[in-house]
Amino acid sequence: MLAYIVRRLLLAVMTVWAISVLSFMIIHLPPGDYVTSYIASMSASGSAVSEGEAQALRQQLGLDQPITIQYLKWMGLMLQGNFGMAMEWGRPVSDVIGDRLTLTMVISVAAIIFTWGIALPIGIYSAVYPYSFLDYVFTFIGFIGLAIPGFLLALVVMYVGFAWFGANVGGLFSPDFAEAPWSLEKIWDLTKHLPIPAIVLGVAGTAQLIRIMRSNLLDELRKPYVMTARARGLSEYRVVMRYPVRVALNPFVSTIGYLLPYVVSGSIIVSLVLSLPTVGPLLLKALIAQDMFLAGTIILLLGVMTVIGTFISDLLLMWVDPRIRFGRE
Amino acid sequence: MAELAAVPTVGGVAEDRIAVATQWQLIWWRFRKHKLAVGGTIVLVLFYIVALFADFFAYVDPTESEAQRSLMAPQPIHWMDEGSFRPHVYALKGTRDPLTFKRVYVPDTTRKIPVTFFGHGEPWLLLGFIPTDRHLIALEGAKPSEALFLLGTDTHGRDLWSRLMYATRTSMTIGLVSVALSLVLGVVLGGISGYFGGPIDTAIQRVIEILRSIPTIPLWMGLAAALPADWSVVQVYFAITIIISLIGWTELARVVRGRFISLKQEDFVMAAELLGCSKSRIIFRHMVPSFISHIIAATTLAIPAIIISETSLSFLGLGLRPPAISWGVLLQDAQNIQALVISPWLLFPSIAVIVAVLAFNFMGDGIRDAADPYL
Amino acid sequence: MKLMRAVIVLAGLGVLGTLAIQSGEAVAQAAAPPKIGSSLIGKLEGPTIVLDAKTFPKAFKEAPQLAAQVKAGKLPAVAKRLPEPSQLFVVKPLHEIGKYGGNWRRAFTGPADHENGNRINSIDKILTFDYTGTKIIPALARDWKVSPDGKTTTIYLRKGARWSDGTPFTANDFMFWYNEIYLNKNIVPTPFFEFQINGKDGVMKKIDDFTVAFEFPEPYSYFVAQLAGSTSIGAGLATRGGFQNFGGAYAPAHYLKQFLPKFSSEEAVTKKAKDLGFDSWVSLLKNRYSWALNNELPVMTPWKTVSPINTPTWSMERNPYFWAVDTAGNQLPYIDRITMTLAENTEVANLRAIAGEYDIQERHMGLAKLPVFLENAKKGNYTVRLDPALNGSDATIHIGNAFEADPEIAKFLKNKDFRHALSLGIDRDQLNEAFWLGVGTPGSVAPAPDTLYSPGAEWNKKYATLDVKQANELLDKVGLTKKDGDGFRLRTDGKGRLRIELVTIGGQFVPFTAIGEMIKQQWRKIGIDLDVKELERNLAFTRNGTSENQMLTWANDGSEMIYLFPRHALPVDAAEAHMGQAYARWYASRGTTGKKPDDPEMLRAFDLFRNAFGASEEERVNNGKELWKIIVEQMWSIGTVGQSPAVMGVRIVKNNMGNVPERQVNAQHARTPHSSMPISFYFK
Repeated sequence: MLAYIVRRLLLAVMTVWAISVLSFMIIHLPPGDYVTSYIASMSASGSAVSEGEAQALRQQLGLDQPITIQYLKWMGLMLQGNFGMAMEWGRPVSDVIGDRLTLTMVISVAAIIFTWGIALPIGIYSAVYPYSFLDYVFTFIGFIGLAIPGFLLALVVMYVGFAWFGANVGGLFSPDFAEAPWSLEKIWDLTKHLPIPAIVLGVAGTAQLIRIMRSNLLDELRKPYVMTARARGLSEYRVVMRYPVRVALNPFVSTIGYLLPYVVSGSIIVSLVLSLPTVGPLLLKALIAQDMFLAGTIILLLGVMTVIGTFISDLLLMWVDPRIRFGRE
Repeated sequence: MAELAAVPTVGGVAEDRIAVATQWQLIWWRFRKHKLAVGGTIVLVLFYIVALFADFFAYVDPTESEAQRSLMAPQPIHWMDEGSFRPHVYALKGTRDPLTFKRVYVPDTTRKIPVTFFGHGEPWLLLGFIPTDRHLIALEGAKPSEALFLLGTDTHGRDLWSRLMYATRTSMTIGLVSVALSLVLGVVLGGISGYFGGPIDTAIQRVIEILRSIPTIPLWMGLAAALPADWSVVQVYFAITIIISLIGWTELARVVRGRFISLKQEDFVMAAELLGCSKSRIIFRHMVPSFISHIIAATTLAIPAIIISETSLSFLGLGLRPPAISWGVLLQDAQNIQALVISPWLLFPSIAVIVAVLAFNFMGDGIRDAADPYL
Repeated sequence: MKLMRAVIVLAGLGVLGTLAIQSGEAVAQAAAPPKIGSSLIGKLEGPTIVLDAKTFPKAFKEAPQLAAQVKAGKLPAVAKRLPEPSQLFVVKPLHEIGKYGGNWRRAFTGPADHENGNRINSIDKILTFDYTGTKIIPALARDWKVSPDGKTTTIYLRKGARWSDGTPFTANDFMFWYNEIYLNKNIVPTPFFEFQINGKDGVMKKIDDFTVAFEFPEPYSYFVAQLAGSTSIGAGLATRGGFQNFGGAYAPAHYLKQFLPKFSSEEAVTKKAKDLGFDSWVSLLKNRYSWALNNELPVMTPWKTVSPINTPTWSMERNPYFWAVDTAGNQLPYIDRITMTLAENTEVANLRAIAGEYDIQERHMGLAKLPVFLENAKKGNYTVRLDPALNGSDATIHIGNAFEADPEIAKFLKNKDFRHALSLGIDRDQLNEAFWLGVGTPGSVAPAPDTLYSPGAEWNKKYATLDVKQANELLDKVGLTKKDGDGFRLRTDGKGRLRIELVTIGGQFVPFTAIGEMIKQQWRKIGIDLDVKELERNLAFTRNGTSENQMLTWANDGSEMIYLFPRHALPVDAAEAHMGQAYARWYASRGTTGKKPDDPEMLRAFDLFRNAFGASEEERVNNGKELWKIIVEQMWSIGTVGQSPAVMGVRIVKNNMGNVPERQVNAQHARTPHSSMPISFYFK
């Protein structure tokens, strides 16, 4: 058991290293560099960067060195716990990401709660009453969320919120609180702004969950112990909720580990449209600007989250289901 | 629908027929009773008919622009004329309102233009080689580009209906190759991983984990900019979908692997092994057929994912780009406030996206339920 | 009617269902419609500055919260904070003396959007342009003088002016910048182009505490304009600080010394940098040097940063030592604070403007949204103003004159008649109607007729009106006589259809790709097959660098001041040269690298351009007009529609804002909205 965990940990470290190489390569795939993008963005906003300035910038940022050297430098920095400077932001990468990481987590968790809150009851209902009218209706509604492109839904919701309900346009805080230090009022303000992004982000995932919950539970409900329970006169509610639902939830437990990175990387576009101060738009802008340390660190962070998530999931699975452990060894 | 719920497995088919039915017949019978799945399938057939005969359903060149027809709201066909059935449209005159800055179109009710069905229009090639000029809708005495605007026009003054027809062709087909490729990779690699186990399994599992850890958007951005610049937009996009499929196989591979691991323990596999069957025979004769339905379902569920990601990537300016015509490209014009407020008809393509994605999902669900009710 | 529509939709789409459609409204037309856009374009106006020291105010007032601080003993009295009375910067506001107070709310899009605040604070330039964008006036410097031989430009500083922390501002701050920043190769590795004449470096000299001279080995009469323009040397500390490359010609010596090795040691500054998470002392200096990133940096701007640009809110508050007053002696600015909220995308910024959440916003506002802005103007309590720009063409097809990859295509791109034919084949009225809502002016690349270097209104139309017949004749003349079945012209080397590629860049203020698509349709009529290719911005710019683009669509903004910002008119700046990077490199390096253009007219244009910097004003203006004639005639880039408000020209102004001009000059050198003097804006 311990040996297995140690081996898995070693493998995880290897995986993270491979991800760091891959992410660095991805960032360097497009031609040009941060300075090219800087010149272009200045030109687009009606300003100028001279050739001399451009060269100086490249030199200062070390962009004139070969990619392998740049990678090694990045690695060296990271081993010291320094993720480099975010070029566009003029701040250490860890600061830039740190600001947004908390809010990203808050939104992601809110979205996950929304998804589960909607999908599990529907899934249970659909499994208990399969092929019923409401099964179709709920399933249909659940799937609509999957079918609407997220960016469109976000834009429409934002516009409707403004035009019909006078809501603040985008963001997570009202203008009064954006700058204020953390306080109860600010948290309340955040809570009021959370539902729209949580719903827009959450709906895309409901269909998948409904589907899994429904089939798992259907499977479980056909088992003899359920019949026994019914035969012994337990209430239908207890028959369903007591064991079958719990067993059907097992696979979810095993995926909990990488739910978060999945939601974070899936939320990039929606966060951009809704102007949410999360990691998603940051990544996108960093990629466009070829701000390599910032983009690289975010990609790596998501990768590490996935690796850790998978690791946790595997451990959970092992704990839940010893067959898997034996299967491996 | 109530009686459906009452019949647990095979609805309305006599017992003796079940006994002699093949596996595919059983699947078909079960599939038939899944109403949403059947509906979805019919819709998809219609969509692919449109994709195949887009030139027939479109009535004008989807690229023909005219600023004097910019942002025109959908114009109705008037079916009745003085009490008798004579479909017609009116000629329109457009100007820009100098105060609101909106385009304003006024129908000229004195100029009626008769609408015909299966009439003559611009020439096109049926199935790529049979020349014809028949279109679903045509006008008599006027070019359709000047008077027929079923879904309105975009900023360029291009007819949205006709563009939607061509977009359907692109969007419904471009992901197919990629899905097929993912499928092959997923089954082969997942199968190898699950059947052989050991170091091969560990290696493949690590590769899967690494690939799953890379978010797709950076990958798309990198690839979109790195592919040869002299490729056309469609070629670039196609190439990217292929590359994405090289990553997209992981999900299926995990499932296939899981199935292989559990099937290995099954009696029929053991029996085959004891009888001395070759490994490939065991895999392809005995094991794969037992979860083929799952593969089909996974495929039908992968296509809508590609459709949705095509629209999202167009939103970011990374997917298909104009002058290519696809649902994503059409929706690019609709992703701004002015479209929502001034020209909401530009959102029509989103309905096509939603319907197609739903249809694929329902069909996929139906197939899976039908083929493997215990999954 | 509604039912009918539903029937059609259902019939057509089968199961697609219906969507609520806004009905195409039928509006009764007014008898004589005014020209599109004229209702929103007002009179060009703005504040003026008072130069006669005799009329300067003698008594001074200040904002209430500053008065309170003075009372509390935290701040010296206002008269002590301002320069000596004769040395003041005195503004006569546009309409009336304003009131103190208020928080100016705006949008910004992230740390790359520093120009947003720079342009509001640009009064810390050494010299500047007045509200018309034509006349050079003093700014940070009180006055200037050019020696008769044109080799020396002397500037006079305001005695008694102070940095925002109260430290006196003197010539030493200039010398510190020159000796410790500019001449330090670790910080500024390559000299500024503007600080050189014909490749020879200028030097800076301190005459006395309030007088600084810039000396050049050759006559450089245009240097005054460089000091007034948006250049490395002249654009001020705020604009040219840390984000760009340590330009601006002066810096707060008393504050920045602590970050330089010379004033402590290499180890000490390196350690300081590492402790703060920076990889080198230069990186740290760069950060500390930026007013937007570092709220401790002493500045000469009217507002100073409170919450830096790399946070969700970029906020600024008044500088208590700002050196300007209005004609009644009130210390400026009127407005207390500026709060810019982060919009992750411009769509959100626009929607917030529509909701009335911004007080004055011209940046990031889209022309295509104009109908929506107008529709919500009453509800949002704002007025929409259009400020047409001065440049000739917002979507300019820059021809890759140095393109070589395909000799056949290169041959034609280098052929003037071919370029003329392409231009004559464009129906600019269509483009204007579809993409500029009819408010732009179709024409060539030449700047607006009332600008300094305009060769005359006729050049705006030259070769720039649709003439399919002439275009076809020209194409036949250059040898493209054979056509294929679809009517497209064939290459002369027998390799099929002549297919030209136009690179466009998406996501910009002007929809370049859409415009390209429409031009593609128009060129079908002259038998030219255009391949529109949208590339990611970096990729397009990188391909420019290697002269791989056959044609690229980009703006030509700034080109109206061709000597200050030539890159969109002529390939002379290697940083950005869409018309032939190799030529630009050749020009900039004076023939040592790059490629010499084989077009004699381009060489003539280069000479005219080069000679202007040391020439007299009159000669330079004539040179400029001649240059524009060559540029239009040779058509190294094709103009489409310009002189429009498409970029930074859609201005949303809340109705309670005072002293805001009806129309402001929208130009790069004027640093819009700086030229309207935001220090004189106020809340009514």
